[in-house]
Amino acid sequence: MKIKYLLDEEEIPKKWYNVAADMPTPLDPPLHPGTLKPLTAADMEMIFPKALIRQEMSTDRWIDIPEEVRDIYRLWRPTPLYRAAALEKALQTPAKIYYKYEGVSPAGSHKPNTAVPQAYYNMKEGIERLATETGAGQWGSALSLATCLFGLKCTVYMVRSSFDSKPYRKSAMRVWGADCFASPSDKTNFGRKILAEMPGTPGSLGIAISEAVEDAASHSDTNYALGSVLNHVLLHQTIEGLELKKQFDLADDYPDIMYGCCGGGSNFPGMVFPFIPDKMKDKKDLRLVACEPSACPSLTKGLYAYDFGDTAGMCPVLKMYTLGHDFIPPGIHAGGLRYHGDAPLLCNLVHDGLIEATALQQTEVFEAATLFARCEGIIPAPEAAHAIKPAIDEARRCKKTGEAKTIFISLTGHGHFDMAAYDAYNDGKLVDYEYPADLVKQSLAKLPKA
Amino acid sequence: MVARVGKIGFLINPIAGMGGAVGLKGTDGLAVAARARGAKPLAAKRARACLHLLSREADLLFFTASGEMGEDELKECGLQYTVAYVAAEESSSQDTKLACRAFLENDVDLIIFCGGDGTARDVASSAGNHPILGIPAGVKMHSGVFAISPQAAAELALGFVRGELKARETEIVDVDEKLYRAGELQTWLYAIARAPYQPVLVQERKRIYVSVSEEEFKDQIALFAAEFMRDGSAYILGAGTTTARIAELLGLEKTLLGVDVIQEGKLLLKDASERDLLALLDKEKSVKVIVSPIGAQGFILGRGSQQISAAVLQRVGEENLIIVSTPHKLAELPQLLVDTGDEQMDATLAGKRMVVTGYRIAQRKDTAAASAPHI
Repeated sequence: MKIKYLLDEEEIPKKWYNVAADMPTPLDPPLHPGTLKPLTAADMEMIFPKALIRQEMSTDRWIDIPEEVRDIYRLWRPTPLYRAAALEKALQTPAKIYYKYEGVSPAGSHKPNTAVPQAYYNMKEGIERLATETGAGQWGSALSLATCLFGLKCTVYMVRSSFDSKPYRKSAMRVWGADCFASPSDKTNFGRKILAEMPGTPGSLGIAISEAVEDAASHSDTNYALGSVLNHVLLHQTIEGLELKKQFDLADDYPDIMYGCCGGGSNFPGMVFPFIPDKMKDKKDLRLVACEPSACPSLTKGLYAYDFGDTAGMCPVLKMYTLGHDFIPPGIHAGGLRYHGDAPLLCNLVHDGLIEATALQQTEVFEAATLFARCEGIIPAPEAAHAIKPAIDEARRCKKTGEAKTIFISLTGHGHFDMAAYDAYNDGKLVDYEYPADLVKQSLAKLPKA
Repeated sequence: MVARVGKIGFLINPIAGMGGAVGLKGTDGLAVAARARGAKPLAAKRARACLHLLSREADLLFFTASGEMGEDELKECGLQYTVAYVAAEESSSQDTKLACRAFLENDVDLIIFCGGDGTARDVASSAGNHPILGIPAGVKMHSGVFAISPQAAAELALGFVRGELKARETEIVDVDEKLYRAGELQTWLYAIARAPYQPVLVQERKRIYVSVSEEEFKDQIALFAAEFMRDGSAYILGAGTTTARIAELLGLEKTLLGVDVIQEGKLLLKDASERDLLALLDKEKSVKVIVSPIGAQGFILGRGSQQISAAVLQRVGEENLIIVSTPHKLAELPQLLVDTGDEQMDATLAGKRMVVTGYRIAQRKDTAAASAPHI
């Protein structure tokens, strides 16, 4: 059985795919957080370069990838597609399981796919420094790497709970020349305010975003960079799905069901968006499943409404599935999935029924990750493992029904910085969180009107 | 810098724990019978294990009761002490209470006692809001003031007098020994006391909770509850400090050791009995229950809140049972326990249950019926 499906460097896609061109329902516009009127390009120029703003607002189906960006992509792209033969054998399933592994990038995850073009466009427009937030540390590492390659400076606000539990993420960022601070920090007005109100807070992505945006907005040489949620981020990540389609051609196969983990939305949309046109035409049975933690289940339990993208209410107001911008999720180990909302492009497609979602508990996720590691060797990042658990369940179902389905797992990165989390799992110390959706709904129903 | 001298009140219930070995399940009122059955004093030995560790610390001053109620062991361990209370020859619970009062008159920072639940009740009744700490030596220790071992008690005491550890509110519970001797476990919540505690430094909690105090989580739970309680339902609030915090946030004074009913921010019933609750259920369309785990074993029903009986729960419906707990307390409990007196109801409530642990945050926790013999 062939295990690896590899593409040549020359097959790195030359264009990104923009799903906005094919969506049945047009995207609701982002709103200005002050006026609540649709956001204009001028509003965004304070923190983003013009090229990215054009991409953010574009409905063109294909957007060229600059050669300078493709040149850097060559360091690790195309990423391999694997057939999980050992896992199939362990599960004794007639199903075929594939996974595409983004952990081969220098930063260990899919995040450089967008960090590199973001740093490039900012460099081209004369920006000297990028400020950003990071949850698990994957995005902060990726942007530190990308800014380093293009000669920019980088400041990373890292969510306190991850900063403490994954000290070597910070070390990696320092190697690439970036400054990394625990968020909330004393470097911004908003961080100081939160520290005064909640000195012991584990922090949240929402708070860290507010700090990075404040930093960028108050320095003329500095822009902001976001690793998920926004349209241009998802656009850059489609390089994964475009490669994957070619790799499935090589394998002479096509997925029946695709799983990917989903926090704010970057890897999962990037992997599945290029399959949306197929699903709308001749592959109507293809299932695209976003996998989120039950502690922070925005797609499965959230409200589809306009909400702030950050805790301070400085970011654009976005139409998305949200648990409320003031919600601080418990400090689960999959720090990268602790975001109160999700990417508007993804939410639009979930709302239209083209994409479905499922929520998983920490313990079952680590159990699945351990089985995967023992079969396939790779120790998955806790975030990525959220996609493994339901894939294993589906393969077990296939064993019962005898179906030879083709199951795909998006493996976003390795878990080499997450050993404390694996230790907690092996020591039986993991807590299974649940989002009390009914009680929250009850509490919101009678909230006093402002 | 001159180190501050820590002042500690110290007492031993000399007969605590004697009943266990001779099958008496507690010695309240049965000391003579226990001695007659050949029971040997256990408490003194447990106290020494703690005192040996404390004797390595130079800056401690003990206030104690005479003879076997404390003096003898302090002397043997070479510690500096003052006898603040002279006990009767055959000491009783009255001596425990009076000794504690004498300690308080000497402005002690902490009262350490060696005994079981009965001793804890006596100490708590005198100590009020003053921090107390139990060296476990009784037959049954259900109260939250006990350290897990004499050695742990020494560490907690030192941490507390050095200002490194804080005290938290916890429940004093005790079993009805007459019923217990007859094979029936019936626990009652007697008081709320303050005791030093050490947040457990396992990885998971280290990074999430240590810097966020348990009190903050109580506030978060109360804030969330105050929001979801605006739905028009009548809420039966069980005993304990977490549920009391909810009432406090609503500006209501909760019966700490009893059951109250709140509706739309108003106190509907205070210290309600089972009969009151059943009458309420006749009148109200929507009734919900909020309880929190009580004592060191994690009972959410059947201990401390017996008024919320199987008959009440039957009519409320298990879907309307809301459990609240700080993550700290939850992490200390292997599971939650229910004992409504109705096996079928217990079986219905057993399994994984959602526990609200913060603002819009919940955990899943195993819940078991207490009828299992190991409890």
